[in-house]
Amino acid sequence: MIGPGGVIKPHYRSVVEQLFGLSPAERVQRLQRARQYLSEAGVFHRVYAPTELSEETREWPLSHPALVIDPLEWSELSDGLVQRAEFLEKLAADIYGERRLVRDGILPSALVAQNPEFVHPLADQARPGEPLIRFIAVDLGRGPDGRWWVLGDRTQAPSGAGFVLENRVANQKAFPDIIRKMNVERLAPFFQRFREMLYELAGPDRTRLGLLSPGPHNETYFEHAYLARYLGLLLLEGGDLVVHGDEATVRTVSGFNPIHVLWRRLDSDFVDPLELFEGSRIGTPGLLRAVRAGKLTVVNAIGSGILETPAFLAFQRPMARALLGRDLDLPTVATWWCGQASERAYVEAHRERLQLAPAFPAAHGRSGRVPLPEGSETLLKHESRAVDLKTDGVRWVGREIAALSTAPVLVDESLAPRPVILRAFLCRDSEGWHVMPGGFARVADQRDARVISMQQGGGSIDVWIPSKGQEIRPVTLLSNRTTRFERRIPGALPARAADNLYWLGRYAERCEAAARLLRVYGARVDESSSAGAIEETLLALVRLFGVDADPANPGRGLLSLARQASETASRIRDRFSPDAWRALNEIVGLIMEAKAEDGEVELVGLTSSILTHLSGFAGLVHENMYQFTGWRFMQMGRCLERGFITATVTSRLIPDDDLRDGALEALLEFTDSRVTYRRRYSVDLSRETVLDLAVLDPLNPRSIAFQINTIRATLADLPDQNEAETLDTLTRRVSRLQVRLQTADAEEANQAFITRIAADLSDISNLLTARYLLSAPDGVKEGPAPE
Amino acid sequence: MIYDVKLTIDYHYAAEVADAQHALRVSPRSTSNQRILSSRIKIDPKPEEIHREVDFFGNRTDTIALWRAHRSLSVEMRARVEVERPAFDISRSASLGAIADLGLRETSMSPGSPAWYLGPSRRIAPLPALTAYIQEIIGPSRDRSAGEAVLKVTERIKTDFTYLPGATDVGTSVEDAFVARVGVCQDFAHVMISGLRGCGIPAGYVSGFLRTDPPPGQPRLEGADAMHAWVTAWLGPEVGWVDFDPTNGILADTAHIVVAIGRDYADVAPVSGVLVTTGRQMTGHSVDVVPLETEDVAAEIA
Repeated sequence: MIGPGGVIKPHYRSVVEQLFGLSPAERVQRLQRARQYLSEAGVFHRVYAPTELSEETREWPLSHPALVIDPLEWSELSDGLVQRAEFLEKLAADIYGERRLVRDGILPSALVAQNPEFVHPLADQARPGEPLIRFIAVDLGRGPDGRWWVLGDRTQAPSGAGFVLENRVANQKAFPDIIRKMNVERLAPFFQRFREMLYELAGPDRTRLGLLSPGPHNETYFEHAYLARYLGLLLLEGGDLVVHGDEATVRTVSGFNPIHVLWRRLDSDFVDPLELFEGSRIGTPGLLRAVRAGKLTVVNAIGSGILETPAFLAFQRPMARALLGRDLDLPTVATWWCGQASERAYVEAHRERLQLAPAFPAAHGRSGRVPLPEGSETLLKHESRAVDLKTDGVRWVGREIAALSTAPVLVDESLAPRPVILRAFLCRDSEGWHVMPGGFARVADQRDARVISMQQGGGSIDVWIPSKGQEIRPVTLLSNRTTRFERRIPGALPARAADNLYWLGRYAERCEAAARLLRVYGARVDESSSAGAIEETLLALVRLFGVDADPANPGRGLLSLARQASETASRIRDRFSPDAWRALNEIVGLIMEAKAEDGEVELVGLTSSILTHLSGFAGLVHENMYQFTGWRFMQMGRCLERGFITATVTSRLIPDDDLRDGALEALLEFTDSRVTYRRRYSVDLSRETVLDLAVLDPLNPRSIAFQINTIRATLADLPDQNEAETLDTLTRRVSRLQVRLQTADAEEANQAFITRIAADLSDISNLLTARYLLSAPDGVKEGPAPE
Repeated sequence: MIYDVKLTIDYHYAAEVADAQHALRVSPRSTSNQRILSSRIKIDPKPEEIHREVDFFGNRTDTIALWRAHRSLSVEMRARVEVERPAFDISRSASLGAIADLGLRETSMSPGSPAWYLGPSRRIAPLPALTAYIQEIIGPSRDRSAGEAVLKVTERIKTDFTYLPGATDVGTSVEDAFVARVGVCQDFAHVMISGLRGCGIPAGYVSGFLRTDPPPGQPRLEGADAMHAWVTAWLGPEVGWVDFDPTNGILADTAHIVVAIGRDYADVAPVSGVLVTTGRQMTGHSVDVVPLETEDVAAEIA
């Protein structure tokens, strides 16, 4: 930050000196390191196109250097933030309790009664005395005089905390020396405190808490997955929860598990379609009943978004005096509510100088209102002219336009001033409110900008608070000195996550099979100019996968197969290593590149590199993924798909009556068993030996028998599978199929035999889905299945 | 007047439904004009869970859960209700100007406070053209009695709009009904509420029943064969809330039995809910409201 006379302020000097003490080449290299980290960690954000139909994900825009805030200034700001949080907590308690502010005439009744964020079914939820808000954010701007101003409060479901962590890690990669030298305050203790608070709320059973997300289509879903992993919370969507009686439970692969605490990242109106917005498809019917019964704590409480009401700022002074007995130290943007005659007159008279904004938070599940994208609450000039304040004043405020001071940001190798706003985070535990030493800073991409929004091209920077005290010790959430080490078996797997893992296994395998078939086909077409009968069969098989073997455009079908896999993976990013996720994404990239080039695509080359990446993915999953319930479902998916496809391909390539030239070789190639064949059989290819290897051989990891054996073994480890008990339908079906394969010899493996295996496998998939993935409600038992 | 009320609602689903949850607001509530002598609900198939609660606005809500697969759902509600609506002089209500001021300055936050009924609600957004239409009926004078003005609005809506079952559905917006000047009781009520609020008069949505057969010599009311809806308007601190029926163009009387009161249909929907199903569903719905005259009717119900 540049002080009077263009002098760099002392606390900034250090970072600027060090940054420019580096050679240009090294500086570039270090920035690249940060970028590479973000891209490898899969940090991105979604950008909504104006049509709302398309959305894309963009690279995370991190700029440098960090915003540096002088420790003295920070400590004063922190005190103001804590005071503000205490005020907001008391305000929430009054609105959902006595409503004394309204009764005493301090707050106009319209601002509560007409507020779309007032949740009637929880009108008295503050009466038991527990705080309604425990994790909030405050957006701040700094005026030209260097004072911090409150621009707005974020109490609904403040986003950004996860991005703060990722920005910090990226900065650590790029500037570890500078961060150490400046003694920058660490973030982990803040999150540790927050996590401890959640655990305390959950009571003795620490598995009973989760993060409630709107799901993968939300623009901050990445953050939800990241924070859930970082804090050790179950990542849940509304559909994962079922309220039985007045208790909220999670639908898992082993039945319904009670849950006591939810960190809510879903807007209030969407949480319960039975009592709030009926059109919500991402909520949980009955959730409000569980809250009323006191069996579920939601952080922040459902309905706490009312604290974001812009018109409240107009009554802040008398409200603070009534609630705290004093004025608030942090100034807010001067605001006039147009529901009162004299204030409306003032706004009318100064319309050119003031900004017109909605008085209430945007409500989504209502008629006649369109959700506004982040940062656009402010009306453009021509829109504001259309507002009739006389008849509609209740719904509008006028407010002063905050002038934002700037922070220096590297633009093309030199520092340029950019307007900056800071989102500070606070959490409340039993001791009171605590401020995160850092924050989420957004910078505009232009010198002069009133609206700073990443949707519109701005960027973010890290926030550094140099510590005055002694050297800061590393604290990370991964090691906790105060609690004894204990190895915990993870909580039960939500049925939705299991479903996604199962399908990820299937899709990845499907993609591999299609690529393999295409390679077999491609190799044959390259060798001979005339297409024989076997090429036709291969082509028909490839088309079964929706893949077109047209050399000009082979990617189309493959691309959608690869996307299916990577999209499924993106829904369960909290259970996944970033490396495995990246391997899948690279395949999508690979196919898109091949498509982009002109002329014919070399099929064998493309499919070979896809297969290499897929085996990388499989390896990462096998080597790195914790081999518990989730891994088992993925394994089941993979084996089922492989068995099913191998049976289909075998029965088509080697029909009973007609053995075409090259069919046996093609099957060996498809099952990747050529080398094995040579080692096992000294004879020439024959129908029996090839079928033996591809179908019956229990030691060949590509044979159908191998898949069935793996499925049987994995099944035994799934929840509620007790070998001593009578076998359920699913296990019986798998066991019978296993015996059939074990006892058959190659002569019996005719087309009918193999076709029946495929049919069995698809029944097994349905049984598995019914048993675990669409977890049946309590009390309903599976009846005897007709066989 | 004492009535025996019977309501049946049936759903038939094209495919099996499981994990269904519904909120039912079908039982009459007590009000200053109405006393509930008895009431009960029968549901088939029998739900695994029933939660009986009273919502913020004082309406009885039965939330039911049917976890098991089912192909139909039937709800039967029977109640015995005593209704008295003492006659009053509508001109005694406060002036239009006074009501608009009082509504905004209201500091009570009790469920019956007019403050809740002034602004937009889930199904009712402000509509300048509609407000202008109502304003034109009311006239410019702020000194006029609000009761008379609202009654005039009630009569005009009956005249200007065509009552046509099937022309709209429960999802029809206020704007569409207003533009087409056609609809059923729900549309009439929404149009009137939106317009009254636009003119500063607190207004709410009432769902309920009508007496099936009129007393001798009186016309049969529209909307008696199904659940009905009308409007309640706040006419100042002395008179309080008064019910108007725009579908029939009258003040509500002893033929009107109140089930639930809210800001609009979304607050009082008789059956709302969540279920997992594919395909269409068929709905049957019938209402029978009979004045209690002889002892044997009582015996039959009991």
